[in-house]
Order: sequence, then C-alpha cells, then structure tokens
Amino acid sequence: MKRYALRQLVQLAVVIVGISMLAFGILHVIGDPVTLLLPQNAGKEEYARYNKLLGLDQPIYVQYWKFASRAVQGDFGKSWYADTPAFSLVLQRMPPTLYLTTAGLAMALLIALPLGILAALKRHTFVDTLCTMTAVAGQAMPIFWLGIMLIIIFAVQLRLLPASGYGTWQHFLMPAFTLGAFLAPITMRLVRSGVIEIMNMDYIKTARAKGVGEGVVVVKHAFRNACIPVITVLGLQFGQLLGGAVVTETVFAWPGVATLTVDAIRNQDFPVVQCAVVLLALIIVAVNFLVDMIVGLIDPRIRVGG
Amino acid sequence: MRHSLAIGMLVILALALGLVPPADAQSREETLIYSLQSDIDNWDPPNSVLREAIILGYHVFDHLAVRDLKTRRVIPNLATSWKNIDDTTWEVKLRQGVKFHDGNPFTARDVKATFDRVLDPTKKMTARGNHAKIKSVEIVDDHTVRFKTDGPYPLFVERMTAQVMQSDKVIREKGHEFMQENPIGTGPYKLVKWSRKQEHVLVRNDDYWGAKPAFKHVRVRIIPEKATEIAELLSGGVDIIKAVPPDQMDVINKSGQARTATSPILRTAMLQLDQAARSGPNPFTDKRVRQAANLAVDNDAIIKFVLNGLGDRVATGVNPMAFGWDPNLKPYKQDLARAKKLLAEAGFPNGVDIVFHEGPPVVEPGTQQTNDAIVADLTKAGFRVKRNYIGDNTVFVARVKDGKAGSMFNWSWGYYSVFDADAILYDVFKCGENYSYYCNPALDDLISQGRSTLDQKKRTEVYVKAQQLLFDEAAYLYKWGLRGVWGISNRINYEAPPDEVDRMFLVTPRKK
Amino acid sequence: MSAVNAGEVPLRSPAAADGLSTGAHRSWRRLWRLKWGLVAAAIMLLIVGVSVAAPWLVPYSPVEVDIRHRLAPPAWMEGGTPDHVLGTDAIGRDLLSRMMYGGRVSLVIAVAAVLVSASIGVLLGLAAGYFGPKVDWTIMTLVNVMLTFPFVLLALAVIAVLGPSLTNMIIVLGVADWPLYARVIRAETMALRERDFMTAARALGMSHARIIFRQILPNLVSVIVVIATLQVARVIILESFLSFLGLGVQPPTPAWGNMLGDGRVYMLNSWWIAAFPGAAIFITTLTINLMGNALRDWLDPHMKL
Repeated sequence: MKRYALRQLVQLAVVIVGISMLAFGILHVIGDPVTLLLPQNAGKEEYARYNKLLGLDQPIYVQYWKFASRAVQGDFGKSWYADTPAFSLVLQRMPPTLYLTTAGLAMALLIALPLGILAALKRHTFVDTLCTMTAVAGQAMPIFWLGIMLIIIFAVQLRLLPASGYGTWQHFLMPAFTLGAFLAPITMRLVRSGVIEIMNMDYIKTARAKGVGEGVVVVKHAFRNACIPVITVLGLQFGQLLGGAVVTETVFAWPGVATLTVDAIRNQDFPVVQCAVVLLALIIVAVNFLVDMIVGLIDPRIRVGG
Repeated sequence: MRHSLAIGMLVILALALGLVPPADAQSREETLIYSLQSDIDNWDPPNSVLREAIILGYHVFDHLAVRDLKTRRVIPNLATSWKNIDDTTWEVKLRQGVKFHDGNPFTARDVKATFDRVLDPTKKMTARGNHAKIKSVEIVDDHTVRFKTDGPYPLFVERMTAQVMQSDKVIREKGHEFMQENPIGTGPYKLVKWSRKQEHVLVRNDDYWGAKPAFKHVRVRIIPEKATEIAELLSGGVDIIKAVPPDQMDVINKSGQARTATSPILRTAMLQLDQAARSGPNPFTDKRVRQAANLAVDNDAIIKFVLNGLGDRVATGVNPMAFGWDPNLKPYKQDLARAKKLLAEAGFPNGVDIVFHEGPPVVEPGTQQTNDAIVADLTKAGFRVKRNYIGDNTVFVARVKDGKAGSMFNWSWGYYSVFDADAILYDVFKCGENYSYYCNPALDDLISQGRSTLDQKKRTEVYVKAQQLLFDEAAYLYKWGLRGVWGISNRINYEAPPDEVDRMFLVTPRKK
Repeated sequence: MSAVNAGEVPLRSPAAADGLSTGAHRSWRRLWRLKWGLVAAAIMLLIVGVSVAAPWLVPYSPVEVDIRHRLAPPAWMEGGTPDHVLGTDAIGRDLLSRMMYGGRVSLVIAVAAVLVSASIGVLLGLAAGYFGPKVDWTIMTLVNVMLTFPFVLLALAVIAVLGPSLTNMIIVLGVADWPLYARVIRAETMALRERDFMTAARALGMSHARIIFRQILPNLVSVIVVIATLQVARVIILESFLSFLGLGVQPPTPAWGNMLGDGRVYMLNSWWIAAFPGAAIFITTLTINLMGNALRDWLDPHMKL
C-alpha cells in the first residue's frame, strides 16, 4: 500500500506541474498579452514599456519560474479587470461552486443508486429499460433547459422554491438536481454493471443458498462492492462537473467560481484565469487522490495492477 | 459501507456549511428587490461608462441637479440655484445641512475635489470627456462655488445631472483604490455589502436631507439569464426588472403578479461602422458602402414587426428626445436596387465580406432578433456577414473602447442621460473619442460650435447642419430610438423613467 | 469479425456465456432482449435519414427570414398555418426546415468530434496498455491532466484563440473527450496482453504494429463502438452547452443546440421554439443510449459501461 500511495503521489505532483504549465500557457496560447492589454492605436514605445512591465521580455522559462514560485505563495497577481488580487477573488467565489458540485454529486447518487440496483436486479426486463431511460432522460435534457423548466414549474407555477440566488437550503434544490441529472446516467450504468458482476459471484450465491434474505444480500454485499467503480468515476467526473456548473450557475444566478472563470476568460483577465484553473485543478487532483486511496484500500487488485 | 458513509458525511458537512442563513434577515415586506443582468465594474461612477453604474450611483450619491421626470427639466438638488455671471462663469449655490454617510458635512470643498479629480488627466477618469469644458472650480464660500469654463458652455446645467458628488475627505485620505468598492455619498441609500456579480445590499439613509424612501432595504441582484430574471419577477422574487424583451411583455402582463411599463428613452441604437478604420482597413471607409448598408435594411418593418412597434425610427444618431433633434430630416428607406448599385460602384459588384461583432442584449432588448433580421436584409443587398457574438457586456464595451470592435458592431448610446445632441455627437461621432468609429473634421467643427455658445437658437441651427451631414455621410447604420420596457411587480407603484435611470427611492408599496 | 488467415484469427474475449440452452432458443431470447435497441435503431435511422435528406425535404430555406410571419405557432394550434407545420421562430424562419438542417449540423458535429476523440483516445490507450510502464505512465499522466482540466475552460480557451466555427467546435469537443477512451482501452489492452495468444504471437515474431492492430484492436472493437455511441449523445448535449454560452454554431446556421438556446426566453409563451429542438435532442440522446445499451448487451454483456 505504501508503494502504491507513493506512486500515486509522484503522479499527483507531475499532474500539478502539468496543470500549472497549462495555466501559464493559456496566456501565451490565447495571444500576445500586451496587444490584448493595449488599445489598438498604442505606439511602439508603449508596447515595449508594457512588455517590460509584464516581464514578457524575459525568456519563457524564467517567466514560468516566476509565475510558479509566486503561485505557490498564493500570489497570482492582481486582476487586470477588478483591481483586486486574483487569489482573493477566486477564493471568495470557490465555496458556492464546491457546495453546488458536491450537492450535484449527492443528487446524482440519489438518482443513480436506486435505479442502478433495480435495473441490475431486474436485468433484461422492461424495468431495466425503464430505469436506464429515466437516468438517461436527465442527461438528455440540456442543463439550461432543464434548469429553466424547473424554475417555471417550481418557482413560477407552484411557488414552492426561490427561482434563483444563493443562501438557504431551498436555493440548493433545483441547481443540485439540475447538475445531478447530468451525471446520473453514467453513475447509474456503473452501479448496474457493478451489481450484476457481484451478484454472479460465488459468495453471493453462497449467501443466497444459505437462505440469507434477498434484501440483505443486495444491501450488505452487492451494494458495497458496486460502490468501488462508482466512487472512482465520481472522482473523475468532478472535473467534468465544473463544465455543467458554468451553465447551472448562470441559469440560477449562482455566485460561483465557474462563471467567474468563464467571465475572466472572456475578459482576458489572465491572473484570475490562471488562479482559478490552478486552484480548481488542485481540488480535483486532491479528490482523485483520495478516491484512489480509498479504492486502493478496498480493492487490493488495483495496487498490484496499477 | 464505511467509505460511502464517509462520503455521505462529507456531503452533509458541505451542505451544512452552505446553509448559512442570509446575513441580515430583513423582512421581504420592507425590502425592494431590483435586478440587473450585468454587474457594475466599480462603485466609483465617474470611473465607469456602464448604465448600471449610473443607476446605482443615483442611490448612494447625489448630483448637483436632477431631472424632473414629469417635465423632463433639470431641477435643483444638491445645488439650490445656479446662474451665469458671465459667458464663461457659472455660480452655483449649494444646499446646507447635507451630510455624507460618514457624517461629514457636504460643502464647496467636496464639489471642487470631485471635479478636480474627474478633470485630472493623469487619473484617466471615464467621465472626464463629459466635463472637459470646465477649466476650474473655485470656492467662494462654504456653500458657493464658481465654475470657470473654456468658452461659453451651454451644457453646463444638463451635465450637472451626470456627475455624482464625492467627498473631499475620502478622495484625499482614502484614495482611488478605496473608492472603487466603498462608495461614500450623500444619497438616500447606503451600501451595506457588495458581493461581486451576485448582489448589492443597500439600506435607507435615515439622515437623508430629502424625501424619505418608502422601502428600508433595497437589494440589487445580478441575474445574468433573462429567462430567470422574468421567472423571478413572476414568482415574486424580484420587484423591478428592466430591458424586458418586447416579445415577453404579454407573459408578464398576463401573470397577475406583475405588469409592464414602457416609455421612450434617451437611447439611440445603431450599428457602428468603422469609417475611421480604427480596427484596420475595411469596406466601410467608403461612403458608398455605408450608404448601401443604410439602404439595405428595412428598419421600419423591423420596428413594426420584430420590436412590436417599440422603437422610433431616427435619421441619425440624434434621439427625438434630445435638444437639437431635427424633425424634418427623413430617415433612409429600404432600396435594395440602389444599395446594390452603390456597392457595385464602390468596387464590390459581387458582394462584400464584413465582420459583425454582436454584444449581449443588456441595454437593448431584442438585439438578437433585430440583428438576425438586419443581417438577412444586408445579405439581400450583397453583404456577406460573418457574425461574432461576444457574450459578456463588459468585455464587449472594453473592445469597443479599445478600437477592437471590427468593421461593424451593435451599439446604443444612452447620452449619460443628458438630453442634448452634444451628448451623443461628442462621444460617438467625434474624431478620436473612445466610442467613436467616425472621423470627419467638418463634423468636429460643428460639434465644437454647438458646445461653444449659450444661444440655443444658434445651437439648434448647428445641430441641424450636423445631422444633415451625418445623414448624407451615412456615418453609421442608423436604427431607432429605443423604448424602454420595465417589468414591475404588482405590490409596488413605479413609473418607467424616460432617462433610463431607475430610482428605487421613488418606489412606493401598493395599497392592498 | 471476419477470419483473416490461420495465424491471425482474432480471439474473442470470453463473453456471452450466459448459460442458456439450445442455439435457436438462445438467439431468439437474445433478439427479444434487444427489442428496445432495435426500436431505437429504427428511430435513429429515421433521424439520420431525415438529416441527410434535409436539402430535398425542407419546405423553406432554414435561413430565410420573414419578420411578418414570426412566432407563428405549429399548424395544429390556434393561429397556426399549414405553411409552417412546426411554426416559425422569433424572426419568422420555418422551424421544420431549421429542425431538419439543425439535425444535420448537430449530428455532423457529434460524429466528427467522436471520430476525433476516439482516434486519439484509442491510439494512446493502446500505446499505454501495450508498451509497458514508461509509456503508460506518460500517457496516463497526460490523461490525468486532461481530466483535471475542466472541459468548458479548455473549450473557451481554444475558441478564444480560434474563433467560433463548425470546425473549431469539432476540434474542441474532440480534443476534450479522448481521455475516456484512453483509460478504457488501456485497461483492456493490459488484460489482453497477458493472455496466451499474445504470448504466442510474440513468440512467432510478429511486429508490434501487427500485434496491436491485428490482434488486440479487433478484440476491442465492441468496447470502442459502445463508448463511441454513448459519446455521440454526450457531444450533442455539449454542443448545446457551448451555444448557451454563445460559443456554439454561430447564427444564422441552425443546430439543435443553438436553436434551443435561442428559444429559452420564449419558453413561457412561444414554447415551440425551444420545445422542438429540445425534443429532438432528448429523443436522439435517449435513442442513442438505448442503442448503446443494446450494443453492449449484444457484443459483450460483461462490459463495464
């Protein structure tokens, strides 16, 4: 286990460096930052002055080193647009997005677990198809459409929930469901195949033969083992979920970091973009590391194979 | 099982952290909620060009003079009276007993400090152009100031409505950075909290010198998605929304929860054409191509059918509500044959490629639909339009300002709510101005004539000439004067403001 | 899977061992299980057929504007006209024509993007699984970086450089989605590598390329087909995301995603503008998923997807 953990850690470090390079690279990929900053009619002198001011006259590896060493201390520079440090701007907007994605994951599980297990137990029957269809239906409705539909139904027609905004637990329900629905099908599919695999295994058959009730078999054994692939995939999906979060945050006027980042990209506000990308990536990396560790603990095969 | 338990715990913990109740649970009854689609860039109105900044500025700050919405005339506010001492000097008497939110009294020193800061070229304040004619501000006594102007300055009184009064002490002691996020004014509301791109929480200033606003709390929410904004209005989550798309008015009116109100507003919509070649060489530097564009589009039909009649066709950028508007100048009428002929004469017999940058419909609802219709018309005349949508208004405005908006882009100008032709001609048509993509010394000459005499009759004559020139030159693709549409909850009384400045302090609850 | 020649008959991974009795009965049962998949395939065939034949089927040009007859409801509703069966949009374009053309655009984007991502993902996955720890480690690190780099940010950044266009969307969506293939293919390749027939192949002195493409790849076709099918559905959804953010297919070209995006403000009154493209996306996605499931069950019921 120790060697496994160590190997994962090394990879983790490499991934973080890779991400930081990507984040640093964005600025140079998108275009010449000086041209972006300066008005069209600026002269050559002004160009040179800005170039120097931004340190862009130095070799690229020096620039990267400067960026990285400052980033480690949480210094990503000042937002080019909002006159505040990028780090505090991003940090302030981080919690709403984390709550939203976590709630979205929880919601996805809430939808996918029962459907997946049911589908597995009633494999190849109409119920199976129905479960799959239900899970897929959530994904088949583009997030913003589902979001607006929910708002129309639950806020405008039924007056049960606030239409948008952030603050109380009522504000969480619709955005979490919207995001969860997006993730439900893949989760459900994994639960289903996980349970099917387990149910065919000898020890389950033994348990059944011993007369243990079907409910107990499912809950105690099958469910537990089906969790492994689900956890792994959920960890991976966390990053993808941020994509869905951009749309969810916009529809529900949710003050999260995903919209901040998108705005920053549009504003070409590079300090904020870099800071957000690095911090988000760190969180995703940490989640995945935890997931790997958990799975490694549960499932010794991975330690050897991976 | 342990692991799923652990994850479950994490989920619950995270949710619990999110369940912090709203900071101050004011009652909904006493709170007025207003929403904007896009947030301000700072809380320092002279440092912003955004309509949202002007609106919010009216709540926390006061102006020397304001507009009476009924008569549309300028009436005293922080100034109690003003007069010309000579052609280049205005004397303004100030209101006594007015206090800033930090408790300091409002005096002549604050007026001087405000203008000195705006006029200082090193500060690069956005509002500087508006007041460039002011040479200096002199303090006569604690409540009297004199403005020295560079030649006669006919717009002085109008422009007093477009400059918030900031505090001398704050400017000196706290400085520019502080002022970007911490507004200290004399206005009817104080800012309690600003969560960027989320909301502004305002509370009534109980020491206000003027009429006491009916609502104790005002929340200004930022809701980027229009469909959500309308849903909030219908479900009672928001009380006032602006820039309602014309097609959505029936939804609001039929809801029983809210109603719409419309008013012509001081805002002209056009497609600016890059005659000045600010973003590089393009076909619109040729007058014939610009005229062809104007002749290609059937704006009358677009107003009638796409905007459901909510627009007033204009011959140039000058709005019918502005001083100097020429009612005798007839707008372009669609004439595809002539448009094609002009294009051919300009050397494009087989059509011409142009790039069209589009901004989001934040101040001009229905832009997307009208743009679609305009492009369809342009295509018929032989323009091959490549469209590029820029989804964020602040980015879009910044691009325009930096001269990067390309050969054609949609733009509307709200005159900083100054009801005078100069307020658009100077900013949007004069050579070298930030938002101008047109450059013509003959026009510049007329603009400077128009702002250099106090004789209103002579000014009108100058502006008639200027409008004829702009029409002949087809400087931009002229569209229409906008009519604003507001969605208003049935729990309140509110009237659509013709100057496009929403004033929450004028809102009163409706008796049930 | 066709037999090639003696030494190279690709071996199927052990599957389909469901323990059923006679052949005839078995195939009947299998077909019956796939009934939903068959229905789905029929629907999908119809959708694809209409999209391909769109230019010959549409009553109007999809970009023809008619502001005098805008927001016309579908023919069967009050105020609808038989001229526009599904009604018209906010500037009077015929919705039926736009739906047909839109399907064409959406499906082309989806299929092309999936081809791009599948090619990248499969190649890298094969390399990672076959060539041992060093290559594996490098590729998997790349995969992890990609997975930790949120897709939308990548899409935005790329489109910011290239500008929004059809080709760019295909590139963006293609590049964003390859890690999934790489992960699955790598795992499968690793499992196959240890098997006897591989050892035999190596002992026979086959080249790496031959082993990979003639021995391993054919065994993975079913996995790839299943993932790719499911990804087509995902890309259709992602295209609508990009349209929502204003980065999708630019007007006036119709695609289901941007049509749905345009219609979202109209959902409370002129609901049909959003409802039809929404329904098209919904039905297509659902259909593809059912097809994918059926394919999985048919090709390899043990597949973990």
